Amino acid sequence: MVRALILLTALLVSITRGGNANWDSHSAHIMPPKKWSVGIFHPIRYGIKEGLELSSHPAWFFVLPNASFKIPFSDFKSFHTATRVSFVYPTPLLNMLSREGIGGMIDPNLTIPPMLGISGSLLMSKELLGVNTTIKSGFDFGLVFGDLDTRSNIDLPIIYHRLEVFHNGWGLHAGVDFERALIRKFRIFMDLDLKLLPDLGTKSKTNNYFMRAGDYSIEHKLLFIWERSSTFRAMIGYKLVSGQYPYGKQTRLLPYIPLLERWVPLIELQWLW
Amino acid sequence: MKNFLLLTLLLLGNGCEPFVVEFSDLSTPKKFEAANVDSNSKTYQGGGIKVLTWNMRFGVGRFSFFGDSCGEDVVADEQTVAQTMEAIAETLTVIDPDIVLLQEVDLGSKRTGYWNQIQYLLDNTLLNYGVYASVWEADFIPTDGIGRVNMGNAILSKYEIGSSERIQLRLRTDQSDLIQYFYLRRNILKSEIPELASSSQKKFYAVNIHATAFATDDTKEKHVAKYLEILDSIHSDGHVFVSGGDLNAVPPGASIDYCMNDICEGESYHVDGIDPFHKEGSFFDNFIGEPDILAPLYQLYDPAIAEDFINLPEHYTHAPSTSILGGGTIRKYDRKIDYLFTNLQWDDMSGHTHQACWELSDHMPISATLSNLTED
Repeated sequence: MVRALILLTALLVSITRGGNANWDSHSAHIMPPKKWSVGIFHPIRYGIKEGLELSSHPAWFFVLPNASFKIPFSDFKSFHTATRVSFVYPTPLLNMLSREGIGGMIDPNLTIPPMLGISGSLLMSKELLGVNTTIKSGFDFGLVFGDLDTRSNIDLPIIYHRLEVFHNGWGLHAGVDFERALIRKFRIFMDLDLKLLPDLGTKSKTNNYFMRAGDYSIEHKLLFIWERSSTFRAMIGYKLVSGQYPYGKQTRLLPYIPLLERWVPLIELQWLW
Repeated sequence: MKNFLLLTLLLLGNGCEPFVVEFSDLSTPKKFEAANVDSNSKTYQGGGIKVLTWNMRFGVGRFSFFGDSCGEDVVADEQTVAQTMEAIAETLTVIDPDIVLLQEVDLGSKRTGYWNQIQYLLDNTLLNYGVYASVWEADFIPTDGIGRVNMGNAILSKYEIGSSERIQLRLRTDQSDLIQYFYLRRNILKSEIPELASSSQKKFYAVNIHATAFATDDTKEKHVAKYLEILDSIHSDGHVFVSGGDLNAVPPGASIDYCMNDICEGESYHVDGIDPFHKEGSFFDNFIGEPDILAPLYQLYDPAIAEDFINLPEHYTHAPSTSILGGGTIRKYDRKIDYLFTNLQWDDMSGHTHQACWELSDHMPISATLSNLTED
């Protein structure tokens, strides 16, 4: 029962509506006007008008206000290109996690000030030798409007480097996505993303207290896709995160269930109609 | 393609390390060495061997930590940890022990800025070698902002440390499975120090224990029994030991109820109908025989602080970090729960409880000097 619930939690269900099977929100392809897709964990994507896509994570919106805009550029050497600008306001969620007792991930004595995260990415997509390829890179900025205590971090993979942008002020990201057909109805998706926080940790007063250290993170995802029909596909795979943290290097395969001390597959189902 | 698959398998293997580290009954502790080993001090030149035990409270001094004694704070600031660690290193340098038994040492815990406290002490004292056995090791503790934690027992020594064992102690049985999964896994750390062996047949061991503090079942009885079993085994095999640590048990004849000393604002104890009747960790009569649980140690081995003096205030070793007397005076110490024993003999009157260190931890160190080993 517990495992079933965990698998259910790991289940990423997306429902996409519209005439364009544009599954990948990270590609340079823009959602056509008035078309939209929605998912429980995936962002809502909406084509506001020709050449402007809005997306947001609905499940998180009220505690983690967020929005992304994607705008196309003119093609470059047969690459579709686009820019994406994302905004996130993590303060309400982080202050919820700064609590006593179970679920407290930040020292409850610390208050997170208003903070705004801004990311700008350049996306370039093209089919190369039968592989749908997207290259992306950009800047991340963490604007803090108040005093952010150095101790207010969450030292978990994926989360740590996203929050440390606010301590460091800025960061860089780059990545590449590949998707191609395998046999019949099977496809494979793989991505590799790098996050850099240059000079993080150089502001420590001593050489022993490393609350801010760990200047890179590499995230990799592999999914096998079964396209059952034109309206439904299922995916199974894993996510691997490897990076430098204040306590050293760590690699973690996700989703990982602590109480069971085992990895469970990442499962994603998508419907389209 | 083959290399890619191998690399992927390697990464996947690394990525599945346990989230919370559990231990087998016997495991090998981690070893450390000072950045600059003093070649003169690493060789035993004869004379007494000074031994010290100290629960150093992960180098936060009297920081109001939420996990004990009415505290509210979780992650210590850099200044607190840096000042305390520097003072602990200075204290160890001044006392100049040959062997140090430490409890509650942090090794990359968020609450102390991921400080490697063992390496720091080795690099900033006259001690050269160390071993470490985790008591609490988890990638992430999802409560109160604790996050990553690695705390344990350590033995530091001027002399090279030989074979060592981390001996798992029984887990508490008065906790839910969920709490127990994320909770402490106490142990005894046993290390051989070949340099101090008087012969190949008579080995020299240092044994360090941190017994349960808050259990209300018979866990403490099991921990002390296991401790005695290990010491007895060394002794009956004809070897020698210095041993001690934080036994979280009061000596025979001591007061057994500290609930009202340790009470926090808003708490009630000793009130019929209000559960718990006693405060966890402040009451020392949870099972039959608990008040005298340490009597066998005193009967069998030589204590650093002689039995006649163990209940004198000058040998109290502990008071919770934020205990306050009615007049607003900080209670520095009000009970003895830390000990040193040997199956050799401590030099007369060498046993000392270093109460001047009360600001550096909620426990005071105890030191004593063994008679000249060459005369043994």
